[in-house]
Amino acid sequence: MKARILDRSDVLKIVDLLREQEYEVLAPFRGRGRDGYFDAVTDENRDRAQIHEANPYYPPKRFVLPHIEHLFKIRGSNGDLRIEPEYQEPRRAIFGIRSCDVAGIYHLDRFYLGGQFRDVYYEKRRKHLFLVNVVCTQPDSEIGDDCFCICADTGPAAREHFDLQLMDLGDEYMAVAGSPAGEAMFAHSIFRRGSPAHIEKRRAILAQIRKQFKTQTSWFPAAVRYVSQGSILEQTWEEIGKRCLECGGCTYVCPACTCFTVSDRQTGPDEFERVRIWDSCALGGFTRMAGGHNPRKAVHDRRNRRFFRKLAHYFIQRELSMACVGCGRCVAVCHCDVGMPSVVEMIRRATAKMDKLEPMEIS
Amino acid sequence: MSAQAAENIYLPKVAILDRVVDDIAEVRTFYWHFEDPAEQATFRQFRPGQFAQVSLFGIGEFPASLPPSPTETETFFTIRQVGSCTAALHRLKPHDKFAVRGPYGNGFPMEEYYGMDLVFVAGGIGLIPLRSCVVYALQHRDKYQRVQIFYGAKTPNELMYLPDLRDWEKSGAIECHLTVDRAADGWSGNVGVVDSLFKRPEGKIPVENAIAFVCGPPIMFRFVIKDLLAMGFPERNIVSTLERYMKCGVGKCGHCCIGVAYVCVDGPVFTYEQIKRLGEDI
Repeated sequence: MKARILDRSDVLKIVDLLREQEYEVLAPFRGRGRDGYFDAVTDENRDRAQIHEANPYYPPKRFVLPHIEHLFKIRGSNGDLRIEPEYQEPRRAIFGIRSCDVAGIYHLDRFYLGGQFRDVYYEKRRKHLFLVNVVCTQPDSEIGDDCFCICADTGPAAREHFDLQLMDLGDEYMAVAGSPAGEAMFAHSIFRRGSPAHIEKRRAILAQIRKQFKTQTSWFPAAVRYVSQGSILEQTWEEIGKRCLECGGCTYVCPACTCFTVSDRQTGPDEFERVRIWDSCALGGFTRMAGGHNPRKAVHDRRNRRFFRKLAHYFIQRELSMACVGCGRCVAVCHCDVGMPSVVEMIRRATAKMDKLEPMEIS
Repeated sequence: MSAQAAENIYLPKVAILDRVVDDIAEVRTFYWHFEDPAEQATFRQFRPGQFAQVSLFGIGEFPASLPPSPTETETFFTIRQVGSCTAALHRLKPHDKFAVRGPYGNGFPMEEYYGMDLVFVAGGIGLIPLRSCVVYALQHRDKYQRVQIFYGAKTPNELMYLPDLRDWEKSGAIECHLTVDRAADGWSGNVGVVDSLFKRPEGKIPVENAIAFVCGPPIMFRFVIKDLLAMGFPERNIVSTLERYMKCGVGKCGHCCIGVAYVCVDGPVFTYEQIKRLGEDI
């Protein structure tokens, strides 16, 4: 991969360059509270765009998978019925996307564009999306207490699936190109060639920041194995289910959740619109069929489902990545501590119960 | 139609309702065709056991099994009125328009069963998705050995496709064994649950070279499976078609997942061997 060096003061010029190339650039901004958010860069707010900002609760997933996607309009009158699809194909760049969210977008790519059917709405939104990944290097602001990309193997520095990656080396930044489009940016004069010392410095910083993560989920591989085998005790799922308030917050902030529901609404006389809306497997109605039968009625069955979808080998092989990217958002939003690391921990603790069930004959 | 629109997996195509036939209480059969003849020709490539997504605009979309065999000329759905979408379909009159997309799902591999005995076990409206296979088997009668149907409903009035069943029996090509939970005036047949038919001498099922198609309410499913396994049916020779809440039909919306399987693309047809390994109860 090609890398270049740029001055600290020139980093936001990348936003300018992208805007000159007619990209709508989305960047992190700081809200009045602790929360950051992604917003479109304008001439007015350009200088307030943040490079080192805690990853917003609300993932950039919505730029490829909006909460509400307008699928098509149905117009009918005098017995004539026309179905007219609506497509959005924006030219967008996300500046400051974190490595975990880059992995999230890759997971969505595999899911929506892979398999037997391709999703045309996702495909069009993804087509011109340019990703400027920023490596989290600041323990105070960027590396949150809940972050565990290090365990999910998605960060702190993504290895692929970005167009351009920026990393703070102190006075300078290192830019790594992850695609031909990213490499083309290096033609601009803000980028200059570096030296092997820069590469050494990058490695040293990465080695250092890997030690800054607080959340430990070193039991991930065992949890994946247990979930895949179905060997987690029903009792453990029940304990997890008892904690869940069924708010759906975890799925709402998850960069790798893909489920949606579809709804029709009237938009005028003889005119309807079909939209798809984010949905959550935490909610009781997710599997409820007409007539009332609900095969996954119990809360713990629904929690089981979420972690099965995220961790089972079958899906990891299919999507080539785990449906958990280690961003820690589910931890941050959960009222009752049923985020991914806690669930992995509960699975670990339950092994003591599994020991008791092990048949053993000693005499 | 533009190539762009052709790729859109969510886009239904306009369909026209031809006629409606009452079956049993709250169940009707809807004969229909696509407005676009090319669409009709493509759709007609469906296999027994596949399903389609039916759109009622302003209301929503629901998955519906395809009871006709591809060997029949007419295309139809048999739908029980249970929710808002099916109720809206029931309100339609001939020549009204709605929309359909599909066919979706794997379907029953009827060619793989050539040379075998076919045993259909259905309860209530569980006969609807199996009808396609029964008619297919009749049309390819020389390809199969013995064909038996074991079918039960709560009352005689709730037996689906009764005229079809009588015709099939009369043809001599299929052995039909019917039962009801509660008899009514004029019912001279068996009274009892579906698996009670297996205990009758004429209900003896050959196991060695047979495929059992099972479809019905969950409780019936459990008992029938238990009996079939006890008779010696290998798990891989018991097939069923599952139903789930579905929004897309193409493996994206996530609603129909059972363990590792998306019912819409990996199913809806599964062998009992597969059902047991899904990783979640059905």
